[in-house]
Amino acid sequence: MEYLFLSAVSGERLVSMTGKILEGLGVSAVIFVLTLLFALPLGFVVAAGRMSKRRPVRWFFQLFISVMRGTPLMLQLFIWYFCPYYLFDISLSDLAIFGIEYRYSAVIIGFSLNYAAYFSEIYRAGIESIPRGQYEAAQVLGYSGSQTFFRIILPQVIKRIIPPVTNEVITLVKDTSLAFSLSVLEMFTVAKQIASAETTMMPFIIAGVFYYIFNFLVAGVMSFIEKRLAYYKG
Amino acid sequence: MKLFSATNIKKSFGDNTVLQDISIDIEKGEVVSIIGPSGSGKTTFLRCAAMLETPDSGRLVYDGVCGFDDTLQISKSDLRTAKSKFGMVFQSFNLFPHFSVLRNLIDAPCCVQKRSKEELAAEALELLGKMGLAGKEHFYPCELSGGQQQRVAIARALMCSPEILFFDEPTSALDPELTLEILKVIRALAAEHMTMVIVTHELEFAKEVSDRIIFMADGVIVEEGNAKKLIDEPENERTRAFISGFRK
Repeated sequence: MEYLFLSAVSGERLVSMTGKILEGLGVSAVIFVLTLLFALPLGFVVAAGRMSKRRPVRWFFQLFISVMRGTPLMLQLFIWYFCPYYLFDISLSDLAIFGIEYRYSAVIIGFSLNYAAYFSEIYRAGIESIPRGQYEAAQVLGYSGSQTFFRIILPQVIKRIIPPVTNEVITLVKDTSLAFSLSVLEMFTVAKQIASAETTMMPFIIAGVFYYIFNFLVAGVMSFIEKRLAYYKG
Repeated sequence: MKLFSATNIKKSFGDNTVLQDISIDIEKGEVVSIIGPSGSGKTTFLRCAAMLETPDSGRLVYDGVCGFDDTLQISKSDLRTAKSKFGMVFQSFNLFPHFSVLRNLIDAPCCVQKRSKEELAAEALELLGKMGLAGKEHFYPCELSGGQQQRVAIARALMCSPEILFFDEPTSALDPELTLEILKVIRALAAEHMTMVIVTHELEFAKEVSDRIIFMADGVIVEEGNAKKLIDEPENERTRAFISGFRK
């Protein structure tokens, strides 16, 4: 045990290993940021569709959420990655979006759609938890539909959904390791490569520490936002 | 001068007919209380008047502007004008919890009527002073007592300069001591000749403050008339039974 963990790893190798893993962390962070950038607003679109008064629209988004939540994210990543080839006969090795290899885009598409489904249900719960009286007061005071939503409802929804959104965001940090399945060089992929090549557990320990620090910071930021919104109750 | 008129209002929820052909006219400056047992339709009527429920049939006219007529298509501008004629005070206050007292008061007139913030803030501070809430402008609703919150709700409704104020059981969520605070404010508004329609269970208060009382039961107006006369000498048997039941 001791051999695997420490003895085999000299200080120099530890530094080089950590450097490579940090590069992987950069990729993980990009996946994390881009996923949030797309999934957080997309979740509102999905929630709006899920609450639509038009049945076909509602059913479509219900089905979307059900499939996204009911199948493994890793399987979804494979589907997004391989669908250009199997559906449109496009060679994956030549395919690039904005000059970036398609596998990275497939990861962002897969993560964003999957997380949008989860966020949408959190948003829906938040929106539906706002008392009817808030809408009625806004209506009597003459606010338009969009003014009611953006000025009255949304700020209250945001306060209410911060804790469940924090859970999802923390899960996302860990889920970025699933990009490993498409050979994207994120932190877990890099750690696994080093571990195999050098027969040591050390890269996993280092990656684990970085995932933990990443989530510690994420939790800290979310807790800061929560405190900033604690100026009122309700 | 007729400020509000409801004609032949009918409303059902499924098979349950809540309002059966209700007609009420309110004169400018008049204070009218609507009393009656639970389930009599008084709150539903008020919600129809405040356009929070759509009647099945009938006609609602606000200061000469038709806001609802089941036989007519009301234009958007008429609807907007009609809506600007009234304000509503809810049983559960419905203040916006994320806004300070001041913002609760000025946000709607600022973003709906596009009035200047400075002018509104000055008006709001004066109104808060009159309501006994001076110095509370930067508080949040959760920091106020129920009575204070309801007074803020009344002030918020007044900030939109309505011609008529609808009160839906404004004291039902408050304990007796806090109820007095609200009744005092309503009394002061009555003294200023504010036109008001009040759904209430406070019979003695209704008698004192109202010009007219309407007694409703089972979706119909059973009796209406001079406030003192209706409470002290009701003519209808059901009204008598209701009032004596309350006094026991």
